[in-house]
Amino acid sequence: MHQASSVCAVLLAAVAAGGAARAQDGRPLAFTNARLCTLEGEVVPLGTLVVRDGRIQALGADAVAPAGALQIDCKGGTIMPGLVSAFARAGIDGPVEGPRQQPGPGRGRRGPPVEINPGPRGGTLNQPATKVSDKLYARQPIFGELLRCGVTTLALTPPGSGLPGLGAVLRPDGKTAEQLVAVDAAFVFVAMVRDTAVKKLLKESFDKAKKVVEERKKPKEPAKPEAKPEDKPADKPAEAKTEPPKGEPPPKPPEPTPPPVPKPDDKKEEKAAAPAPAAKPPEPPKDPNIEVLADLLEGKRRAILELDAAADLLHWLHAVGDDLQFPRAIVVPRYDQQAGAFDVVVEQCKKLKAPILLPPQLSVRPRTRYLTNPALTLQQAGVEVGFVIGDHRDTLRVLFFNLMELVRYGLPADVALKGATLVPAKALGVDGEVGSLKVGKKANLLLFSGDPLDPTSVLQSVWLEGRDVTVEKKGAER
Amino acid sequence: MRLTAGVLLVALLAAASGLPAQGRNRFPRRTEGGGQPAVPESKPEPAGDKKPPKTHLAIVGGDVYLGTGQRLTGATVLVGDDKILAVGTDLELPAGTTVLDAKGKTVSPGFVCVVGNGMGAGRSSPFIDSVNPFDPEIKQALAAGITSFLAGSPAGGNMPGGDTAVIKLAYGDVTGMVLKEGTVLGLSVPLPPADLDKLFELIKKTRDHRVALEEFGKKKSADANAKPPEAPPGSDKLLKVLAGEARLWITLGGAGGGGRRGNPFGGGGNNNDTAAIRQAMDIAQRLGTGVVLQKPVSAWLVADEIAATGSMVILSPRDRVPADPADPDRTGSNLASAAILAETGVPVAVTCPAGGYGGGAGVGTGGIMGQDLNTPHLDAAFAVRGGLDNRKALRTLTLDAARIMGVDKRIGSIEPGKDADILILDGDPLHYRTFVETAVVNGKVVYVKDQEPFYSHIKH
Repeated sequence: MHQASSVCAVLLAAVAAGGAARAQDGRPLAFTNARLCTLEGEVVPLGTLVVRDGRIQALGADAVAPAGALQIDCKGGTIMPGLVSAFARAGIDGPVEGPRQQPGPGRGRRGPPVEINPGPRGGTLNQPATKVSDKLYARQPIFGELLRCGVTTLALTPPGSGLPGLGAVLRPDGKTAEQLVAVDAAFVFVAMVRDTAVKKLLKESFDKAKKVVEERKKPKEPAKPEAKPEDKPADKPAEAKTEPPKGEPPPKPPEPTPPPVPKPDDKKEEKAAAPAPAAKPPEPPKDPNIEVLADLLEGKRRAILELDAAADLLHWLHAVGDDLQFPRAIVVPRYDQQAGAFDVVVEQCKKLKAPILLPPQLSVRPRTRYLTNPALTLQQAGVEVGFVIGDHRDTLRVLFFNLMELVRYGLPADVALKGATLVPAKALGVDGEVGSLKVGKKANLLLFSGDPLDPTSVLQSVWLEGRDVTVEKKGAER
Repeated sequence: MRLTAGVLLVALLAAASGLPAQGRNRFPRRTEGGGQPAVPESKPEPAGDKKPPKTHLAIVGGDVYLGTGQRLTGATVLVGDDKILAVGTDLELPAGTTVLDAKGKTVSPGFVCVVGNGMGAGRSSPFIDSVNPFDPEIKQALAAGITSFLAGSPAGGNMPGGDTAVIKLAYGDVTGMVLKEGTVLGLSVPLPPADLDKLFELIKKTRDHRVALEEFGKKKSADANAKPPEAPPGSDKLLKVLAGEARLWITLGGAGGGGRRGNPFGGGGNNNDTAAIRQAMDIAQRLGTGVVLQKPVSAWLVADEIAATGSMVILSPRDRVPADPADPDRTGSNLASAAILAETGVPVAVTCPAGGYGGGAGVGTGGIMGQDLNTPHLDAAFAVRGGLDNRKALRTLTLDAARIMGVDKRIGSIEPGKDADILILDGDPLHYRTFVETAVVNGKVVYVKDQEPFYSHIKH
């Protein structure tokens, strides 16, 4: 059957091959007779999806293929958005071949864990402002493999623990790093490990960042300090007696700042100006690492926080406090029953108010073979659940089977599919562009012969921004 | 919210009668050692003006072993947040109290193990940065009744040292897991004469420094410019011992370590360590405070000498060191050691025999049967078999063990003000048939027998 299906896929690919080339000329594409798994509301049982200039132009049961469009008859097959891998290091460490061993215990009985390239050994790093895209090595077959497995968006996650750098979002199609990188410096990556070095680093860094945020807020109220010195000469004679005991006013006047000017300059000038009257020691130069974290705390950036076990979540809260809020998503690359799968910290997960990406697998109760479904437990508790789908073809080959099992153990099918598309897209901050079928979003499509969660369905083609990438690669292989 | 707190009205059991002749029937007669008093038993810190607790938990109607050697029948233990508020038979429970029914059951302080590894303890100081509050071994240890243990190593060198912490099995609570760090320091004897002289010198200097510090404290109140005395180098750890903040645990063996009696199958080894014990007692006398002897073989021969220095002893009653056939009356171990020591007033803690194949004691089941912490109550039961009074024997796993680790202000007994580490058992705490039904640590239920895989299938 496998052979038959692959033959089928090749045939269909061959049929579409010519069209793919032409579609790039600006001619719209229309997928007709398709079941549309939009992941935005209800499934459209039979409809049409129109693509123009690499984006979805229209979709629905009543969408009509525009005149002159290249029509692709899906024959009742299902279209769903391309997969998004929010935790991946493909391309970071030179060519990586073959299955890799994952460190850490608690693998359970369910075959290999999610394969994720560990990258070069980093250790505890304090470089949140370092872009990982500088380490990207573009010409690697892995990107083509991932694309053919259906991954149309993937993260480039910095390796190492602590604050190893700024991650990027890749579209796995291109010959140079520039072509590959869709969004550079897309997220701050925080890799929590329960040891003194990392906890100390995180606590100190975020404490410093909080102070920077406070200082940044000061320029907003230059009116106040400015008003004071003006008031003062006038007030002083009158309030001469009340002034000294206050204690506060004397330090205030030395802080006058020029009226608001463009932000970056403003701060520099303020810092240059402030020391002299205040007679303070000259301010140390800005630490770019802390600035990045301050941006994060102000909501200007987003973060992905890696936690390997429930114990690490508690240590994260212990290190930085549970009141630290910033845009973030949590990734959990494997279930570590020795330190708690995430269904033992449901309450804490709820308080995080962030999507949590789990391994697409069932877990077991520690020291037993009782199966548990942490994704379902968290989802029922109201936590947004997604999946870490890794960066290796071996894992991706079985992804839909793993999702099927989660669905069999109670997880709603749309949650399972969103968990591999829309939720990781949110985690990367690219859900406005990819992750679901919506007018205006990129036409990253997977065309299945049936329901993606049906074991007899076959992934027939993968479309990246309206282009059939499976065909091109197959042509190249020949 | 009226609490008739701490009403200990129920009659105590009859005083311990004299021990029957045990062991080899050759007890050294107890002589009143006129030396220094034993390390005083510290009372729980007074509650002070704390906020009223948010949550209440009551364990109602059980036979409550207080851990001090007393028992209350049909009593209630009231817990507020993480501390014990009251124990008694006529307690008024505040509204909203969670009630655990213990009628027909036994209530005991959580067991305190003086040696342990694994069980979610961190790797090294600061332990709080690496504890694993979801370690499956925590549940297994709770199933064995353990609620606290000493992690790390009181490394025995020629000067006090080591990296230890008292870990609590507060499942799912990082901050609740580390009770205190550095309450135990280690030292090895016998020391070579040169090292011993150095140690004695340091002890003298440190004691002088302590006196100087006290004088400075008085001076300071009168003269603000007084200079604090300079601490002699290397005295910081000894100062902690002298101040009662840390206990000095003494390993009895060659200074270089080695497997003196490490062979689990008997044979060989040193079958009399009186000389080493006496050196340790010499150190204790010079310190002016008691020390802790780790698994002495011959302690039963010199129990009164140990008592005279106010020292304490850790024993593994199951450990066997064969006597020398040529001198059977003064060599080898004695099943009655714990009983003999207890009668002379020496606090004793029991532990399991050391693991035969490396590693210390843990609940891991990969080792030799019995050489693990899965049945701490049986280790105490062995002491009872050697003649130790049943009620005193529970102290070897609770209050006296906590004293030996220097944390008896916090744990080891069911008394108002102490941490709420409590077990509900289905029988006498030291009976071989007894299982833990519910374990409470820091006022939270962390183990229920029926809900965990270990013993839920065993019904009596």
